[in-house]
Order: sequence, then C-alpha cells, then structure tokens
Amino acid sequence: MDALAPRPVALGEPEVPGVAVRPVGRRDRTYARCLLPALVLLAVVTVAPTVYLIVTSLTPLDLTRPATALDFTQPLGNYALLLHDHRFWNSVWVQAKLSAGTVAFQLVGGLALGLLLGVRSRFVAACRTLFLIPMVLPPIVVAIMWKVLYTPDISPVHTALLALGLPIPALITHPDLALPAIIVADVWEWLPFTALMVLAALKMMPEEPLEAARIDGAAGWQILRHIVLPYLRPALLVAGLFRLIDSVKAFPLIYILTDGGPGTVTEVTNYYAFRQAFNFSYLGFSSAITLALVAAVFLLSWWFVRVVGTRGDVE
Amino acid sequence: MSRVPRSRRERRQRRLAAALVALLAAVVLFPFLWLLQMSVKPTADITAFPFRWLFTPTAAHYRALWESQFPVSLWNSTVVSVATTLVALCVGVPAAFALSRARFRREGALALWILATRMAPPIAFTLPYFLIYRHLGLLDTRLGLVVIYLTFNLSLVIWMMRSFFDATPRSLDEAAWIDGASVWQGFVRVTLPLAAPGITATAILCFLFSWNDFFFALILTRTEAITAPVAVVNFLNYEGWEWGKIAAGSTLVLLPVLAFSLLVRKYLVGGLTAGAVRG
Repeated sequence: MDALAPRPVALGEPEVPGVAVRPVGRRDRTYARCLLPALVLLAVVTVAPTVYLIVTSLTPLDLTRPATALDFTQPLGNYALLLHDHRFWNSVWVQAKLSAGTVAFQLVGGLALGLLLGVRSRFVAACRTLFLIPMVLPPIVVAIMWKVLYTPDISPVHTALLALGLPIPALITHPDLALPAIIVADVWEWLPFTALMVLAALKMMPEEPLEAARIDGAAGWQILRHIVLPYLRPALLVAGLFRLIDSVKAFPLIYILTDGGPGTVTEVTNYYAFRQAFNFSYLGFSSAITLALVAAVFLLSWWFVRVVGTRGDVE
Repeated sequence: MSRVPRSRRERRQRRLAAALVALLAAVVLFPFLWLLQMSVKPTADITAFPFRWLFTPTAAHYRALWESQFPVSLWNSTVVSVATTLVALCVGVPAAFALSRARFRREGALALWILATRMAPPIAFTLPYFLIYRHLGLLDTRLGLVVIYLTFNLSLVIWMMRSFFDATPRSLDEAAWIDGASVWQGFVRVTLPLAAPGITATAILCFLFSWNDFFFALILTRTEAITAPVAVVNFLNYEGWEWGKIAAGSTLVLLPVLAFSLLVRKYLVGGLTAGAVRG
C-alpha cells in the first residue's frame, strides 16, 4: 500500500503536512471515529441530565402532585423562594464553616505530615503507604468508623476518657460540637491527600539551593521558611483548591454521623438539597438549590483553572 | 563547620522523625484497626464496660452476614463496578488516543466540560437521573447504576488515558503506518500494548470509585439492586444497632479496596485530580 512512502523522512519525524505517510484526511477520519462514541455517550449521560435539571428547577415539581412537573407558570419561583429561605442561607453558612475548617487543617496538617514523610529514612519510607489508608477507604466505611468512635456506649475514646476521670459529652448530638466532630473526621480522611501532594512536590525539589543554604549556615527553620515553603506553594494551592471543591460534596459523614442535626447545625447545602428532594419530595425546589450550588462550584473551578492553568504541578 | 556534628545531629533528627511517624501511624490507623477487631469480637464484649482488650475471636458476625441478603449486595456491587468499568474503557480509551494524537476544534470546551462534571456535587446528577429513571423503570436496577457511574468513569478514563498515550512515542505509530498498518491497526497492535499498565491502573481506579459510591446507590436503589455500602448502612438504620454485623460488613467492603489501592498507589493522586491537572 504505502510501503513506497519515503521511509527516512517519515520515521520518527513529527507530522509535517505534505510528507505524511498516509492521506491526512483518512487518518483524521479514524481519529474522529475513535472520539465520536465517547462524545455521544458523554452528552447522553451528562449533558442531557444537566438540561433536565435546569428545566426541573423552573417548575414547582412535587412528587406527591404529578401535575406540577409541567407547570411553568412561575419559572423563577423557586429562585425567588431560595433568596428568602433562611434554611438555605443557614446551609450556606454551615458549608462555609465546614469548608474553611477542613481545608485549613488539611493544608497545615498535610504540610507537616508531608514534610515529615519526606525525611530520608528507610523506616519512614516504609510507613508512607500506611498513611494512604484513610483516603482510599470507602467514604461510607470511614463514616461508620467515626460513628463507632463518637457513640459513647461502644466508643473506646469515650470509655478511656471516662476511666481517666475526664468524661466528655456525646459529640455528634451536641449543638456546638457536632460540626467540629465532622471536621475532625473529614480531616482524618483527607489529610493524606494534601500530604501526598506535598510529598510529590518535595521529591521534585532541586537539591542545590538546599545545599547552598546549608553551606551558608542557614538554620533548619530558615531553609523551610525561605526555600522549601515558596517551592511548595503551587502544590499547596492545588491541594487546597481540590479539597475546597470537594468539601462542597460532603455527604456520607453527615448522613451517618448527624443526619444534618442536631436541628440544622450540620446541614450543608448539598444535604439540604437532598432533604428537600428525598425527604419532602420537593424536587423542583431542590433542583434550584442544586443549581445554585453547581454555579458556586463552577465559579470555584473557573478560578481554579485561572490560578492553576494547565501547568503540570502534580506528579 | 566539621561534618561529624552535623551528621550526628542529622541521625538524631532522623530517629526522632521515625519515632514521630510511628506514633502518628498508630493514631491514624487506630479507628481503622478498631473497626477490624470489632468485626471478630463477640457482641457481649463490644458493649462491655470497661472494654476488654482480650477476647475470643468469633466468626459469628460474618456467618450472620452470609445468611442474610448481604452476599447479594456484594454481588451487585461487583457486577455494577465491573460493567461500568468495561463500558468506560471500551468507549473512553479510543477517545483518549484520538485526543492525544490529533487536534480537534473545541478541545478546550471539552476539557472544561469534563472538569465541570468532575467538580459538580453528585446531587446534581442524582435529581435528574432519579426523575428519568422513574419514567424508564430503571430505578433499583443494576443497569441504572452502571449508566450513572459512567458520569464520572468516562471522564476519568479519557483524562488518565490521554496522559498515558501522550507518554507513548508517536514515532512507533508512524513506523506501523509505514509497514502498511492503518491508524486503527497501529493503535490496537502497537500503542495499546504499550499503554497496558496505564489501562490496568485506570481500570482499577474506575472500579474503586464505583465500588466506593454511596450517594447514587442510596437514592437510585431500594432492594433489588442495592450495593454493599448501602446494605451496610441499612444495618445501621433499620436492624437495630448490630455493631458486630456492621463492622463485619464494613470490613468486607473495604478489603478489596485496600488490596487494589496498594496496586495503584502511584496513580492515586493522578486519578483523584483527573481533569484538572494534567500530569
């Protein structure tokens, strides 16, 4: 077929128009055929539901009254309702507290753990894998583990503190302590993620500036402050933004530990949307809450792309 | 400055770091180990006060699980996770290859869309899927779960495999063409075998993300297609507080995850950040 094509030119050369081995058109058609099924499937499983979500948010859909599915008389009714819904704004505030708490502790803790795990020692290297366990466990199993630790009857922590004469109240049913309890569990679960990102960045760090600083007699903390930290900044930024965006999805921990309670103390926005839809069956209103949430996540992602771009900061 | 004091100080620091790491590992692993031991602890010892460190291990909780509906939910989890992984790979791998080798218009828009689906909270897909499945009769079916898991698996495959294909040399494709192979033949016979480790890692990640899902299965299944994570939670909600059974069920759900995660630990961060940062 094309065996007579000029071999030396084509072999290993970047594609140059005119000296391609095969007709470009045919090759491009193959590539297009490879891509097409994925695009169609992606559109069916993601674009179509998104459109449906937007349409639903314009109706007062209530599953107990099927006629409401096609009621477009007040398309923005749900959004107007949302603006004056105290419970919605409460959920936004809870979400803000949860996100701020988890991201801050995961960044600081992840940085410390990452630096610690970066120490050159065979023992430390062997232990690294152990620290991955919380992050790879199924989220629901993590939630159950913490449910055990937070249930006074069976909790080893409660029992031990009681034996020491320091009894603590049940955390997840306490109005002031329920949210911190969830933050602790979330930090435990995702600290390895930020630590891993820090560790990956540390491994790529050039040796020379460190050596130079040491020879110049810089103290350990000076090296950390002026050389290591500035170098780790992009990695920390990526890790933090990731955790921030993911914190908006917090569900299994809240579902298992507090069910949004006591009252609405731990009811984050996606949990509120879940309750409106599947406890009260107001799917139209829930869709509006969800879209507001998606819009917020979208803005965060856009900011993310602006800040991080497509630089390969990871790996 | 002489070398000796510094190396001695370094050695001391290293020992200190090792001790700290050991301590932290113990603290971090404690909740996990506690759950594991609960799964083989007799019920009377679980609630005993003060608690007993020493007890005779029992398989009673696992036996109770075996006789309940739990094996069915494990089977559902397995079938659904394998099926969605296979579909995502069959459709996503060729697409990733095409994206790696050719330039397309609006590639940026595609990238942004994939990122958006990765970032969106699961409830955004759950609501419309719930309504659509009610009409199509797909609620509480394994097929329904397979389809909704594609929302994250397909983008994961496209993004991870694209960077694996970027790392395989183009010159080999071109050499295959010179030998008379078509683009498709070159892909199947030359590039695909080279990317096999990447495909394995991607497949495992897809399987894990599907296996770990709780939210979609909670909303879209009731009894027939219930997956293992939801079944474990049902022990918590409906069947009283049978902690031994809950711990045993959790252990069965997490064991395959631990085994597979160890195999792909190199790619974990890449998989978790897929779509946003190209490695």
